[in-house]
Amino acid sequence: MSGQALLLLQDLTGGPEILDWEWLRENFWEDIVPAIQGHIFLSFISVAIALAIALPVGILSARFRKIYPPVTAVTGILYSIPSLALFSILISLPGVALGPTPVIVALVAYSLLILIRNTVAGLDSVPPETIDAARGMGLTNRQILFRVELPLALPIIVAGIRIATVTIIGIATIGAYINGGGLGKLIFDGINRQFPTMIIAGAVLATVLAILADLLLLGLERYLRPWARARRA
Amino acid sequence: MIEFKAVSKTYPGSEKPVVNDLSFEVLDGEICVLVGPSGCGKTTSMRMINRLIEVTEGEILIDGDPNTAMSGTQLRRKIGYAIQQIGLFPHRTIADNIGTVPNLLGWDKSRIKTRVDELLDTVGLAPDDYRDRYPAELSGGQQQRVGVARALAADPPIMLMDEPFGAVDPITREGLQDEFLRIQQDIRKTIVFVTHDIDEAIKMGDKIAILKQGGVLAQYDTPANILAQPASEFVSSFVGGDRVLKRLSLTRVGEMDLEPANGDTDDLLRINEGLSVKDALSELIGSGYSRAVVEKDGDNRLLTFDAIEELMGGTSVEPSNGGGASA
Repeated sequence: MSGQALLLLQDLTGGPEILDWEWLRENFWEDIVPAIQGHIFLSFISVAIALAIALPVGILSARFRKIYPPVTAVTGILYSIPSLALFSILISLPGVALGPTPVIVALVAYSLLILIRNTVAGLDSVPPETIDAARGMGLTNRQILFRVELPLALPIIVAGIRIATVTIIGIATIGAYINGGGLGKLIFDGINRQFPTMIIAGAVLATVLAILADLLLLGLERYLRPWARARRA
Repeated sequence: MIEFKAVSKTYPGSEKPVVNDLSFEVLDGEICVLVGPSGCGKTTSMRMINRLIEVTEGEILIDGDPNTAMSGTQLRRKIGYAIQQIGLFPHRTIADNIGTVPNLLGWDKSRIKTRVDELLDTVGLAPDDYRDRYPAELSGGQQQRVGVARALAADPPIMLMDEPFGAVDPITREGLQDEFLRIQQDIRKTIVFVTHDIDEAIKMGDKIAILKQGGVLAQYDTPANILAQPASEFVSSFVGGDRVLKRLSLTRVGEMDLEPANGDTDDLLRINEGLSVKDALSELIGSGYSRAVVEKDGDNRLLTFDAIEELMGGTSVEPSNGGGASA
């Protein structure tokens, strides 16, 4: 946006400056870049940990159907707790300090349901005859899991990662409330100082980050299944 | 050789066996077709050979050794496996699909590649056009060819085929059957072939095992013998009321022992020696003549109703109903 247009905007609203470009320029390296980095760090670590839990749990749930209902019940309850409440509960526990750790714990808790459900749905989507053929040709159970089932389930698992990631990037902003850092810090500081520029910068950047992550994972999803691109004309 | 020795299968929690005291032998290089109505245990019987299903009683010997002598996965890598739903890996190219078992057996890459191209040739798919495609790009018939090629990949002496041509239209199926019989002439595999279609069984089988409900063997014999002498009411009704005609379809006119045609044959109906006796009989009846000329080895031979009756064992073309087809 050019300076002239901004002036025009100020004229129209008649109020104080909505965006202080001067502040954005001066604090870009000091406040904004670390906030972006912190946000990416929080989200990435949380999704990675959640995935490390959800994949084995999902695979076991698909194999041993009995454990699937309790697993969805527990993760479903976690998913339904309001984020602010969960953050408050976590820091009230003995031995938990303010900072990124309780934020990551909460974000992991939120993504488990989606990731586990999509892992199970992905494995369920593998055609039974494909597994029968694999077994009939002498693949071991482990080979069937890693060479047949997981590759075929991957697009659905990655679709779950997309939803989880976008959700986490949004909720992570609230983590600043308990000193988790990230773009939420800009927003909360902006509210405290009644300085809209910081609020808008935090919100817009968090949105852009979510959209970028979504597109990136969409690209990954497509890349992971070349066989789906090659359809009979 | 595959030997079933008093094999039974009963699932836990069920009193009735799905396969009951089954004993028969499949000789090397023969196609043995397991056929019967649904619920007769034919697929279960086949799947017990490579231990996708374990037997409850009795044993299955392969070349004299019980099939439990090695692990199930080791055993299955030595036995070709093709099923009706094909089960190609959708995320792997045609070449990767065919190379599955050689890859598991640790063949080197160039050997696998040579073998894949050879097999694509065998099943009538141009290697350069198909090797790098994905299964979804192929028609149903092409996929079934790939399924058969994949089962043949490591050149296993034994093949198990569960309705391998079941998922395609009748015309494509007949083409695939003919082609497979042609391939089998060269490769001489020992094959256990499951189908519910008696016509397919008659066409494909050197031997046919007819099973009835509860997994009981109703008859085990060559197609010709089963058609000529059904062992029971069940077999006779299963092979169908047209079993005499089916018998005729097993023989070609050129294979018949026919009298030379004397005199002027110009006016008579001419029948191609490659035609089955069944089709020849149909043409003969349709033409209104009582005889026709078959040209065989440059000679004219005479095809008559009597000759057809003689082929059927000198009794009558329709032995059970007593009616004379030659009338």
